[in-house]
Amino acid sequence: MTFLYRLRAFVRWLVRRDEIERALDSDLEDYVARSTEAKIRDGMAPAAARRAALIELGGVEQAKTRVRETLSFQPLDSLVRDTRYAFRTMRRQKTFTALAVLCLALGIGANTTIFSFMDSVLFRALPVDRPAELVILQWTANRPTESVPWAMPGRGDVVAVESRLRSDNWPYPVLELFEGRRELFTEVFGSQPVSQLRIDLGDGPTGDGLYVTGNFFRSLGVGARAGRLLAEDDDRFEAPPVVVLSSVFGVARYGSAEAAVGQTIRLNDVAFTVIGVAPPAFFRLDPERRPSFYLPMRSGPLLVAAGPRLTLPGGPSRFAAALVGSTLEMYQDPEFYWVSAWARLRPGVSREQVQAALRSPFERFFADNLRNQASLPNPPRLEAASGTAGRDGMRRNYGETLFVLFAMVVVILTVACASIASLLLERATARRREMAVRMSLGAGRLSVIRQLLTESVLLALIGGGAGVVLSIAGTRALAPLLAAGTDGALFRAELNWPVLGLTLGVTLLTGVLFGLAPAIHATRVAVFSALKGSRSAPDADTPKGRHRVAFGQMLVVAQIALSLVLLIGASLFAATLTNLRTTELGFNQEGLLLANVDTTRAGYDAVAVKSFYGTLRERLRQVPGIDSASLSWSVLAGGSAYIRSVTIPGTSTQATDINTQVIGHSFFETMQIEILAGRSIGDWEVDAGEPVAVVDRSFAETFFSGADPIGRTIDVQDEGQLRIVGVSANARHDMIRGDARPAVYYTYTWDPHPLYNMVVLRAQGDPLNYAEPLRTIVRDLSPDARVNSIRTQAANTDRTISREILFARLSNAFALLALVIACAGLYGTVSYAMARQTPETGIRMALGATRSLVLRRALRQVLGLGVAGLAIGMPAALVASRYIESFLWGVTAHDPVILAGAAFAVLAAVAAAGYAPASRASKVDPMAALRSE
Amino acid sequence: MFRKPKGRAEDRLGIPQGTLYLLILTIVRREPSHGYGIAQRLQSLTDGAFQINPGSLFPALYALERDGMLRSVERASDNNRRARYYELTPRGRKRLEQEEQRWERVTNAIANVLRST
Repeated sequence: MTFLYRLRAFVRWLVRRDEIERALDSDLEDYVARSTEAKIRDGMAPAAARRAALIELGGVEQAKTRVRETLSFQPLDSLVRDTRYAFRTMRRQKTFTALAVLCLALGIGANTTIFSFMDSVLFRALPVDRPAELVILQWTANRPTESVPWAMPGRGDVVAVESRLRSDNWPYPVLELFEGRRELFTEVFGSQPVSQLRIDLGDGPTGDGLYVTGNFFRSLGVGARAGRLLAEDDDRFEAPPVVVLSSVFGVARYGSAEAAVGQTIRLNDVAFTVIGVAPPAFFRLDPERRPSFYLPMRSGPLLVAAGPRLTLPGGPSRFAAALVGSTLEMYQDPEFYWVSAWARLRPGVSREQVQAALRSPFERFFADNLRNQASLPNPPRLEAASGTAGRDGMRRNYGETLFVLFAMVVVILTVACASIASLLLERATARRREMAVRMSLGAGRLSVIRQLLTESVLLALIGGGAGVVLSIAGTRALAPLLAAGTDGALFRAELNWPVLGLTLGVTLLTGVLFGLAPAIHATRVAVFSALKGSRSAPDADTPKGRHRVAFGQMLVVAQIALSLVLLIGASLFAATLTNLRTTELGFNQEGLLLANVDTTRAGYDAVAVKSFYGTLRERLRQVPGIDSASLSWSVLAGGSAYIRSVTIPGTSTQATDINTQVIGHSFFETMQIEILAGRSIGDWEVDAGEPVAVVDRSFAETFFSGADPIGRTIDVQDEGQLRIVGVSANARHDMIRGDARPAVYYTYTWDPHPLYNMVVLRAQGDPLNYAEPLRTIVRDLSPDARVNSIRTQAANTDRTISREILFARLSNAFALLALVIACAGLYGTVSYAMARQTPETGIRMALGATRSLVLRRALRQVLGLGVAGLAIGMPAALVASRYIESFLWGVTAHDPVILAGAAFAVLAAVAAAGYAPASRASKVDPMAALRSE
Repeated sequence: MFRKPKGRAEDRLGIPQGTLYLLILTIVRREPSHGYGIAQRLQSLTDGAFQINPGSLFPALYALERDGMLRSVERASDNNRRARYYELTPRGRKRLEQEEQRWERVTNAIANVLRST
């Protein structure tokens, strides 16, 4: 109660200080006047009376000061004083303050940034309406075997999940089957990505798009940023071509979202009207694909036909008609799996119910429509997966990634806290003398502790503030940095406030605790010995003292151990990345330039196409620096491949899952793929358009096991019969990870068509230098031909592993962070340990030890700590790395080279951090050290 | 609450620790008074044994006012001079009673001990 009164009086004093001062003045003046009067009445002279009265008062100013002291709020007053003292102290101990703030800032800031980033990019829930209601419909099946071939031809990603394969692509009729189940779903919608749509006329860039059903946007509950979004009416075959742009693309191209509406944009030479722009947060369903365009599902045939040039000189091209026709067929083919099916659950319906309800109907559909009855024993089984996080949920096990990520954050946090604790402990011991002096001068123990608490809190606030600032700035700055080198799309990361709060809270708590605990202990110290200036802790021989020393060392050892664990993890990720990049691609990806050369607008017939590409190749080979040139239909290791089924006439063998690759002259030579048997397709055969093929070793082994495939005939779906002339080494056609399918190569001249072909150049030096010559030559040959999407093979491959790149970079950042923080703490601890041993060092040096001897001894101690840390860290790392095994590729979790390398790096860092304090210790003047005893 | 004003020791006979506030409150209870009046009253009541100088008195008065035991009022005094008069608040009155009782208990106890030897 008194407290409140005091507070109120304090506030009054603050607010009405002048008034109170005046009142005080008048009170004192009044007193002096009355006293003077009394003395005059007693007989004193007026002047003497006044002087006497003033002397009685004992000094006006002192009286006033004491009154002020009474009125001021004691706690606040001392807080102000403590704070000022804390600032002065921190300015004096620059190194310590800097290190402590660094640990805090990094532990909080960098940690939060990296975590926010990975969280945003990898598994943010979709910014759509009620994402919890969304499901992705998927199927799983056993891998095809010889007796049970693959029944699902078609594009799309198939992922291996445990022992089965999983995909979320369905035939279009099945989508309609789902739509009919109104009792399960309120909405059923589909999507299918399309890549490399040519934008504008000319050699413009290309963009990726997403086919969506008419109810896509409505089902997701997404609103337009400008204009309107696609509706059911737009999704008809006869509907006028319309497109919705992504926010990023629309703003980049037209300056603002509003300006984009109503514009016309040519995609694959078809004019589309922009009817709206999607909202900025609405990234995508699949984080890997960032579509610039949202197109109605049924606009596919338009784009495939590449505009109105269905009729080519010389009559309608059978190819063009077939292409459009087969594209239209796609919507009815019950065996072509290509559409992703999503649905919004009706309230009250669970995913299990959906699975139970749809499994049998789908199985029936599958059995009824199966063309090849041999696949019947391996029907795909329907599953309903949560769509909350988008399509990515299919690719990755969220639980695992999140766990790894969180573990990293916790480890860094621990290391940071340990560092801060080390530093504070070291400081507290070094300041024992100061505290002893203060206490001997009359400061109460409580006031000393209070002052140290103020210091700790101040440090925590500064460090915490720095950490928050770093978080915010880092989240913004990191995105473009990390996106560099991948396909350049902008990642947007949001600061993760809960993690920031967590790191902030934990580190600050540590700072305050460890600032306080040694303070409380140190003020108990015997004042006398502390005053003597003895630098050695007299209580080092007491059990308690030994405990504290051991604790400090334990902290350091723990930090080193944790740093080792992180470093090993990061190295494993980095090794994975390297492996992915250098994996047995089967071809040499360095020095290769790729470009799409599209001659559809030139209106060539088959003969003209052959002649064009033939001449192109000749001209390219004449360019100095270009070793060879070829062409192919799709990019190797490009993330997608043309899959067809192949039969062997005269046998019942049918393979439904074969990579077919159309190639030009000297393809194998250009790509540097080894020919293992027979020969590659000769130039003359390409010129003549001979029906010959080269198969890869996987194909030969699978289908001809043992027998010589050369000379045999195979029948490629939609292409006809080809004669095998050679066997090549295996090359990656699709994703780098995952199994490789067998492949068949045949010439483009067998069935030439004017769709874009990928031209491949092997050149010396930087492949991109040859972009201009290529363009020039193409323009020369045909003004209507287009060249776009020029890139190196290496960059293209990188695009498919962008996530692995991201992961490796970020985990490296984590590991580096841990090491830096650990070294900061190590510096503090080693300084403390060295300082503690100063008298002992002095004696040694007085007895003849040389400086270098002392230094070596100190370093040995430091390394001792390092080795102890490694001894603990290594088994921990071995255990921990088993958890990340599923992320690795081409490297085992216990790779000895990596383990040894990381251990060495940590040891080196430890030695470096400990060197400065060690060398300081060795420079001690023995006389000074001894004198202090 | 009856804490010695920080720092200064009392003079002459030395007012026993913690009793200055008690004395002031008692004096003011009889009638509201200004600072000089309180000092004079104390001196006359104790026959000069306790004297207090204003350097100690005023901090005490301001402290009592701060803690809500006293209230100050500016009044025209005798001979028409304006002075600040201090008077007891109900809270102060209650506290004074409590401390009087305690004081009596303490002195009785001490007296008993002294008498017994």
